[in-house]
Amino acid sequence: MLELLKNLASWLTSGPQWSGNAGIAHRLVEHLEYSLLATLVAAAIALPIGMLIGHTGRGAFVAVNLASFGRALPTVGLVTLVFLAGGLSKWPVYISLVALAVPVIITNTYAGMAAVDPDIKDAAKGVGLRGHQVLWQVELPLALPLIMTGIRLATVQVIATATIAAYVSFGGLGRYVYDGLAQRDLVQVLGGAALVAVLAVAADLALGGVQRLLLRGRPASAR
Amino acid sequence: MKKKLPMTKKLPMNRRTALTALFAGASAPLLAACSSGITSLDGDGSGGDTGSSSGGLTIGTANFTENQILGYLYAGVLKAAGIKTTVKPNLGSREIIVPALKGGDIDLLPEYQGSLLLYLDKNAKDTEAGAMQNALAAVLPASLEVLPYAIAEDRDSFAVTRETAEKYGLKTLADLTKANGKLVFGAAAEMQKRVVGVVGLKDVYGVEFKEFKALDSSGPLVKGALKKGDVDVANVFTTDVDVAANKWVVLEDPKSLVPAQHIVPLIAARKADGKVRKALARLGNVLTTSELTELNRLVDQDKKDPDRVADAWLKKNGLVSA
Amino acid sequence: MTIEWGWFPDHIDEMTRLTADHLSTALSAVFFGLLIALPLAVIAHRFRPLRGFVLGLSNILYTIPSIALFVLLLPVTGLTRTTAVVGITAYTLVVLVRNTVEGLDTVPAKAREASTAMGAKPLRTLFTVELPLALPVIMAGVRVATVMSISLVSVASAIGQGGLGQLFIDGFQRDFPTLVIAGVALTLLLALVADAVLVTVQWLATPWTHKRGA
Repeated sequence: MLELLKNLASWLTSGPQWSGNAGIAHRLVEHLEYSLLATLVAAAIALPIGMLIGHTGRGAFVAVNLASFGRALPTVGLVTLVFLAGGLSKWPVYISLVALAVPVIITNTYAGMAAVDPDIKDAAKGVGLRGHQVLWQVELPLALPLIMTGIRLATVQVIATATIAAYVSFGGLGRYVYDGLAQRDLVQVLGGAALVAVLAVAADLALGGVQRLLLRGRPASAR
Repeated sequence: MKKKLPMTKKLPMNRRTALTALFAGASAPLLAACSSGITSLDGDGSGGDTGSSSGGLTIGTANFTENQILGYLYAGVLKAAGIKTTVKPNLGSREIIVPALKGGDIDLLPEYQGSLLLYLDKNAKDTEAGAMQNALAAVLPASLEVLPYAIAEDRDSFAVTRETAEKYGLKTLADLTKANGKLVFGAAAEMQKRVVGVVGLKDVYGVEFKEFKALDSSGPLVKGALKKGDVDVANVFTTDVDVAANKWVVLEDPKSLVPAQHIVPLIAARKADGKVRKALARLGNVLTTSELTELNRLVDQDKKDPDRVADAWLKKNGLVSA
Repeated sequence: MTIEWGWFPDHIDEMTRLTADHLSTALSAVFFGLLIALPLAVIAHRFRPLRGFVLGLSNILYTIPSIALFVLLLPVTGLTRTTAVVGITAYTLVVLVRNTVEGLDTVPAKAREASTAMGAKPLRTLFTVELPLALPVIMAGVRVATVMSISLVSVASAIGQGGLGQLFIDGFQRDFPTLVIAGVALTLLLALVADAVLVTVQWLATPWTHKRGA
């Protein structure tokens, strides 16, 4: 165990390991590229849907159970399927990562909006706000903490799962995990996994910071 | 330099089996109905002098279809000899499976002479089948044994598209040096570290690639990438029907980098009794390279199941009763 | 992409075997997960300082790619089903520990006090009052853990222990989408059925949550 950690340390700190196309720096950038793009696309799809369901109350059953469906969907299978259908491209990677992130964001967005006290919404209407104004000025701000939870969860999941890109020949930190498996090189696997975990935790902390900025000035109970 | 850790030697065997037994044992009664058996409980690999297959045999296979077909062929002839078998397909690369064989998780594995020898001894020089058989016997631990090799052979080969061959004037592996630093090489990830792979191409022929792309073993990734032009040189098997179908050019190997690759059963010595030896030897004497190629075609192109293809072939050749 | 529908009726046996395999791995993981998570959560609930540590640890675990965890377990548990079970068990802990701690939080202090006042020892209070009252939240965790496990088993196909996930590798290598579709569909179905069973179990186990006033 100790030897493994020592080898890991030298793997992570050796200069050549960081440079070049197969170097850690490049793999990190690739990994971020897959994860960021997938999460952004997923948010662009999921936020409006979650907001619509939350605002209208229609489709609540779907919204609640979607996360469960998303959890059940086997990513390896989806990647393989899209690859077989469309050939060698990055589509399998992006489609599977987006499919992974969308349900989490929808469910949390809906949950956040559904938790808004109906009395507050009535009061807002009572003072003359229109439907879309209620949505933007009342429901959304109040739902923000849960919406952000959804985005953070999705981001962490996507970063951990973006290793799958290596399964269909692409880069990212998953390269170290899959190549290490094929070459029986545990140090490489451990190094790759550690980098993914660090990246995921860092992304989560960064989004936590964003969340605090957005909720600045609110009482602690509303964060 | 980082060091590779041995997969099975890190923990003393008793602790490992104890842990396995804890999980296996506790879940067995709970799930007896749907469990298809946890294999690491049978023995600890310390082979006695007289092997016995009476407890049944677990056959593992690597993660490509031909190896799976071979696994089912082994299972078929052993079953016909009255031995209980379980096939565990798609376990991974040699680097993962051979340690599992040493550790007792599986008992038998369809292997390829040359690649196996180079895996066990990076500096092995033998390339002729008979000499390799002796060399294998010498480097294998006492707990493992190779049985007589089959007529059938499947070599690793290096292929380029016809356009690439014409563009750079490629006929042999040595010609690749003409395009040093220009070509992208695609193969399974393990080939990056293997002698029959990036290492040997450089040491024996002086070939240097622009990039290595980790794909799969003569599977859809590597073939798709060659077709699409994502890689220029691809590692494919000589028994792969897609090579001829795509009119790819297989580069000659004048310096015999790729050794003879007859199919050879690698077995835990404690399981290798007379019945097993006889059954596998009979199979090896009947299975030829062209027939193995045809079996691959039935599975890869006609989408037939590997187990059924194997079964039908064994019946047709009288190796099992119809 | 063409689907060969004829494959399905022709492979009932294989689908059944793989599904059973898959379920066995997933359920073992949830079983061991509960076995470990319950005591861990009770301790984390009792001793506040441990709480952040235990929850934080399980959160970090969540960020490790599952495929890497399986590979790293190989030297310990070998190329066996045990590796898949141990790996997935680790992931179930993330959900099970958190939900059990939160479930115990929902138990009203009065219920606990009443039990103690009637002379019950702490362990007895735990089993007869706290855990039953926490059951709805714990069961919610069990449901999530079960569905997650069912999905995760297919990742273990990289080490040959993937249950229905073996169909993904097979389909991949043979360029045969029908197998992959069968694998995905059966995995989803399995998750759906398992979840429905758990909902029913929970409903039967907690009659007080849905008793009518009459």
